[in-house]
Amino acid sequence: MAATDLAIELLRASVLAATPVLLAAVGGAYTYFANVFNIAMEGMMLIGAFTAVVGSYFARSWAVGLAAGVAGGLVAAALFVLFAVALRTDEFVTGTAINMLALGGTTYALRQMFGVRGAFMSSQIRALPRWDLPFGPVLGGHPFLVYMALVLTLLAEWHIRRTRFGMRLRAAGEDPKTLDAAGVSSSAMKAWSIMISGALCGLAGAYLSLGYVRLFSENMSNGRGWISLAAIILTRGRPLGILVMSLAFGLFDGMGMSLQGAGIPAQLTQMLPYVATLAALRIYSLRQKL
Amino acid sequence: MRKQHAVSAAAGVAVSLLAGLAILAIQGYPVWQSYAALFSYSLFSQFALVSTLNKASTLVLTGASAAVGFGSNCVNLGQPGQFLLGAMAATALGIFLDLPSWAMLPTVIVAAAVAGAVWSGLAAFMRLRWKMNEFITTLMLNFVADGVTLWLISGPMLDRKAYSPMTAMTNPGAWLGMWNGLSGAVAVAAAALAAVWVIWNRSKFGYECRVMGHNPGFAAAGGCGVARNFTWAMLLSGAIAGLAGGLMVTGGMQHRFVKGIGANYAWDGVMIAIVAGNSMSGTALYALFFAALQTGAMGMELETAVPSEFALVLQAIVVLFVVASRESTRLILAGLAAKLKARRAARMLEAPGEGGGRHGSGD
Repeated sequence: MAATDLAIELLRASVLAATPVLLAAVGGAYTYFANVFNIAMEGMMLIGAFTAVVGSYFARSWAVGLAAGVAGGLVAAALFVLFAVALRTDEFVTGTAINMLALGGTTYALRQMFGVRGAFMSSQIRALPRWDLPFGPVLGGHPFLVYMALVLTLLAEWHIRRTRFGMRLRAAGEDPKTLDAAGVSSSAMKAWSIMISGALCGLAGAYLSLGYVRLFSENMSNGRGWISLAAIILTRGRPLGILVMSLAFGLFDGMGMSLQGAGIPAQLTQMLPYVATLAALRIYSLRQKL
Repeated sequence: MRKQHAVSAAAGVAVSLLAGLAILAIQGYPVWQSYAALFSYSLFSQFALVSTLNKASTLVLTGASAAVGFGSNCVNLGQPGQFLLGAMAATALGIFLDLPSWAMLPTVIVAAAVAGAVWSGLAAFMRLRWKMNEFITTLMLNFVADGVTLWLISGPMLDRKAYSPMTAMTNPGAWLGMWNGLSGAVAVAAAALAAVWVIWNRSKFGYECRVMGHNPGFAAAGGCGVARNFTWAMLLSGAIAGLAGGLMVTGGMQHRFVKGIGANYAWDGVMIAIVAGNSMSGTALYALFFAALQTGAMGMELETAVPSEFALVLQAIVVLFVVASRESTRLILAGLAAKLKARRAARMLEAPGEGGGRHGSGD
């Protein structure tokens, strides 16, 4: 009995931890197919987490918070488009600068707006509602963004593989000159992919700060944007593959928390998802050689 | 070409300072007073200048580490982890080792560099042996280094008398001297930068690395040992970052590993290398500039209550604007050159007389 309870708790924790990685990585799949080197996901997620808290706090509404999170991600993405697509600045440089701008900007704004360092929490921040869906003990009763993430993953799989937009997106990545010659601007497709990625990173950020907690803390995204990037590379951008990878990541994250209960120091168990990502990359490299 | 570089850098810095002004003005801070404080507290007193130089000694090393990596086409983003391990090596040896004073400091400092190199070497190994992209592995290894050092300072190496996670102090034999507040780390960092400059700009290895950075295909075709150079560039890059961490312990004020010792130095270094276009002299200049911004921001907070994190925002804006203006000047100049060429070609076609151009368009 206790063992099954523990297993259910572990799986629930995995689903919760998988969701932000999944959301960001599905957005990143768009930029992956458009051949944009998108390392700004980390920063877009962090900005989204912050603006979501701002929106939820001042409007006392989770819906405004969620919208503000998406808006924050979109603003960061627009900055990326401005520099990397319009001004042709190197994508790696732009992404790194946006990540730093996100880290510095949110820390600065945290002190400027709320006068606190480290973390901001308040009972006035409204959390995302939980949906009591009859999906059993593991999948039921999560914040509704968990279910939305699953739906969005399926939608993205169809959108990228089966629609005209998806075809143009992949053409922009594979052969931009031919796409331009065919009368569709490859730059515009790249810009669209970055904006979609920004919106989804904004959702992921809102999930982080309003999902199972109601607070913003400095550098809250804590490498999840980079794990998303690893998941994209490992699955070559297939949304369904990303779903599996995110769940695996979530499982290791959840296992870390369980091991902590077993007396292993928290500082070490927190490394588990990152070590697992390294292991996954190693396994991927094995498969590549065949 | 170099002049063009300087002009676009100056324009970028000026525009970003203006953008910073605008941000402050929108938020209702006294703009001129804030900027005056920013510069007077970073440059215009002995104390200010010394603080700026101390900070720059760290930034110039993390910057050089990133510049060696990026400049040789190794995407080493592991500076945060390499920095932490360097600091941890210096702390551990500083506590547990008791050598005569002439041997103590060099041992501790070299050990810090070696620790950083081991961590970047691990990523190089994964790349060459297992084809794992160093860009992701170095990022993941940062979290591992973070976890391990955090565990060490809150468990096995915790100073029981302290209120937050930190180690005990190192032996005074492992401390660098201070002269009027100027840390000995400044001298070590300057010497290290000079050595890296010589390696980078005057040695065969440095030349081959720079070729790899500009054109990896040409480097391979031209007979550079790409795999060997990659390994050495990664090791050098990691060693410099580890050295920066080690100097933080040997040359700082605390002489111990405290939680959060790495602050944002490593990522600042990444930005410095980017904005300096991986040149060593540029790295030194921008390290001084960023150090001045960060030191001055503290004074600005004191005078006009602008949170000192403003420096981080300003740094990111500087990077975006300087790099964007560099690329767009190049694009504009290339566009102008193409236009001139086209005009000259058109004139040549017109010259032979009417109709001549139409038939003689073989070229």
